[in-house]
Amino acid sequence: MDRRTFVKRAIGSPLVAGAVLGSDALRHFLAAAPRPYDLVAVKGGEPEVMFDRAIDAMGGIGAFVKKGQKVVVKPNIGWDVSPERAGNTNPKLVARIVKRCYEAGAKQVYVFDHTCDDWRGCYRTSGIEASAKAAGATVAPGHSESYYQEVSIRGGRVMKDARVHELILESDVFINVPVLKDHGSARLTASMKNLMGIVWDRRFWHKNDLHQCIADFAGYRDPDLNVVDAYAVMKQNGPRGVSTGDVQIMKTMLVSTDMVTADVAGAKLFGLSPDEIGYIPIAARQGVGRMDLNGLNISRITL
Amino acid sequence: MRLPHLKNVRVVVSLLVFVIAAGMFLDFTGNFPRDVASTVTSVQVGPSLIRILTTIAWPALGLGIALILTIAFGRVYCSSLCPLGTLQDILSRLNRNRNSRRRFRFRRQYYLLHYALLLLASALALGGSIMLITLLEPFSTFGRLTVELARPAAVLLHNGAALVLDAVAVYSLFAVPLHVAPLGPLLVTILLLAVLFVMSYRAGRLFCNTLCPVGAILGLISRVSVFRIVFDRSLCSDCGLCEKVCKAGCIDSKRMSVDFSACVGCFNCMEVCPTSGVLFERRYGSRNVTAALPVDRRRRKMLQDAAAMVAGSAIMPGDSLKAVLPPATGKSRTTRPITPPGSRGLDHFTSRCTACHLCVSACPTQILTPVFLDYGLDGILQPCMDYEIGSCSYDCVVCGEVCPSGAILPLPVETKKLVQIGKATFIKDECIVVTKKTDCGACAEHCPTKAVRMVPYEGRLRIPELNNDLCIGCGACEHPCPTTPNKAIYVEANPVHLIAKKPEEKKIEVKEEGAEFPF
Repeated sequence: MDRRTFVKRAIGSPLVAGAVLGSDALRHFLAAAPRPYDLVAVKGGEPEVMFDRAIDAMGGIGAFVKKGQKVVVKPNIGWDVSPERAGNTNPKLVARIVKRCYEAGAKQVYVFDHTCDDWRGCYRTSGIEASAKAAGATVAPGHSESYYQEVSIRGGRVMKDARVHELILESDVFINVPVLKDHGSARLTASMKNLMGIVWDRRFWHKNDLHQCIADFAGYRDPDLNVVDAYAVMKQNGPRGVSTGDVQIMKTMLVSTDMVTADVAGAKLFGLSPDEIGYIPIAARQGVGRMDLNGLNISRITL
Repeated sequence: MRLPHLKNVRVVVSLLVFVIAAGMFLDFTGNFPRDVASTVTSVQVGPSLIRILTTIAWPALGLGIALILTIAFGRVYCSSLCPLGTLQDILSRLNRNRNSRRRFRFRRQYYLLHYALLLLASALALGGSIMLITLLEPFSTFGRLTVELARPAAVLLHNGAALVLDAVAVYSLFAVPLHVAPLGPLLVTILLLAVLFVMSYRAGRLFCNTLCPVGAILGLISRVSVFRIVFDRSLCSDCGLCEKVCKAGCIDSKRMSVDFSACVGCFNCMEVCPTSGVLFERRYGSRNVTAALPVDRRRRKMLQDAAAMVAGSAIMPGDSLKAVLPPATGKSRTTRPITPPGSRGLDHFTSRCTACHLCVSACPTQILTPVFLDYGLDGILQPCMDYEIGSCSYDCVVCGEVCPSGAILPLPVETKKLVQIGKATFIKDECIVVTKKTDCGACAEHCPTKAVRMVPYEGRLRIPELNNDLCIGCGACEHPCPTTPNKAIYVEANPVHLIAKKPEEKKIEVKEEGAEFPF
């Protein structure tokens, strides 16, 4: 258990206990210091607007990005498909996050992904390279093994080590920005699955129990913030998709510091039971995050 | 005409062509302007001739320019437009023996060998084996030297620079994965470089006048060119400088004669002559000058025959070529190399590709890999798809756009997405889902057409299911498949490319959702 997880749980347990007990006294005590939301869900707006609302509810961007910090924003840029195909994170959302990070005083904001299709095509066609650059980000490469460094994964059952992109190791703040999608292999992709794009060797995952590996690696490092883009959601033929016929416009966004929580909400939004998605219960069991949304402090915003 | 500055024009043009050609073959960024590259590739006689002879309805402007130039001025092509010619001049300059630039002597050309090689190369090509052209054609040789030897060096330099620059401005340069050709092609290329080096180091343009098939063709044409190099006997001071600077060895200063079919049009002689006695004159009706070497009747007959055969092959339209090609049978199905989309299949590709490796250099995923004998001796050094390196990008048509010989024809993107270059084969018993009872699905994940999709298997597991009607053979399934030692899904080549069914574009049913969140 790393410090972050420890602190989170140390705070989280009494909260859950408090909610279960329903103790008025405890509630009163907690009300004194405003309790942060475990999950913020927004629907009905454009990506930029929804992000602004969500991050405000989370306590403002300043709660996550401090002056002079180095930030890495990791969208899903896996596929050489255009934004309306919803195979990648919404480029407008990425740009907005970059912009807000700079407003909070970030020294440098990086955007990268280890893509599945040819990286130059992915960066270009997804629209993310252009939009992130326009917002001032450095769009970094992830296509060469030379950018990845060996790390060990404490608590990993199957996956004990991995080569992780240097930006993840060197940055002060890690913002995970997956797109919610159908996924042929993993059933659903959101926060945890998106971390497959920060490692070099993905074949190992596929070869050694994909769900277990996703859960194992989720225990490596909690992103400081997870922003699940569900503005346009690929409901079938994922993760690459075949046409825009696969896409449903849902105009929704989920924000949480807990990947499991975000993915549980994502699954429900998608129309799947979180139990059906192998890696979610495993990750919850391994202490990556909380799977039970009951008792969590959720902000639901409809624009 | 006294044109002492003609040499300077030649130097400028040749360096420009050389830099463009080297640039397009070296380019590992994918940013080299395509139209600049195609101006140079289109005038390259070797690939352009193959393209025009074997593929109907192709613009022949570049080839036309090259041939008209030769008819007008002799083999100026060899010194100006041929990047391998310029490379030989550079190699020749490495010779630092005393007075190296004035070290040449008149020599009898090896015409018999030269034209015999041209005849043999043409005959083999008509019989379906482009092997000899592949090995000797200058543009392709230049391409291989650049792609196989210089490009990896450039990539290493670039990556080194990227490392250094990262200390100052992070990610200003991106690391480029290093791809080195397999040993066989690499050795052949090194051998060719060695031959080229020895020949040019010792005797200037010996390659052009002994081995080069383009040199042989243009030499035939230049025998009747409008302009040629001649001497003004009245001005000659017998200094012999013209002979000493002639890298083609075609000037006999004693007899004041020029073997103009061997002249590569460098114009060094005109520049160096102290009395301006070397002239560029019209062949007919010019005054007071020496004639070319008296021509041996028998030799002329032989050359005429050779020309007739080459011309004969030129008239043959593309489709009749197919009739003389050997049928593609008898090769092991699993080991048949996969040819890129636009190449129509094995026959079309292997009979036209001169292995210049421009596609090898340009392929964004770097999966086009030269092979040694996988296509047989006939297809030596030609590239094929290597799905160990990566897969063929669904929306990419770059190889067809750059191919100068028509071996890979350009395809519109929407057509390319349906061209089936091979079919996937799924070996269920070796699939991770069966052997380990865990989810995998890497193949289905990457498949752009959903020819591979995941279907329910035991319990919650899902297993790949293959629909080869939709498969285009791009290797997106094979590349990420994690099974060892062999892939559980792999692509087998289509000897003749087919058309796949268009992927189904089914609209999802959108259920009316409530205003509430489902949690």
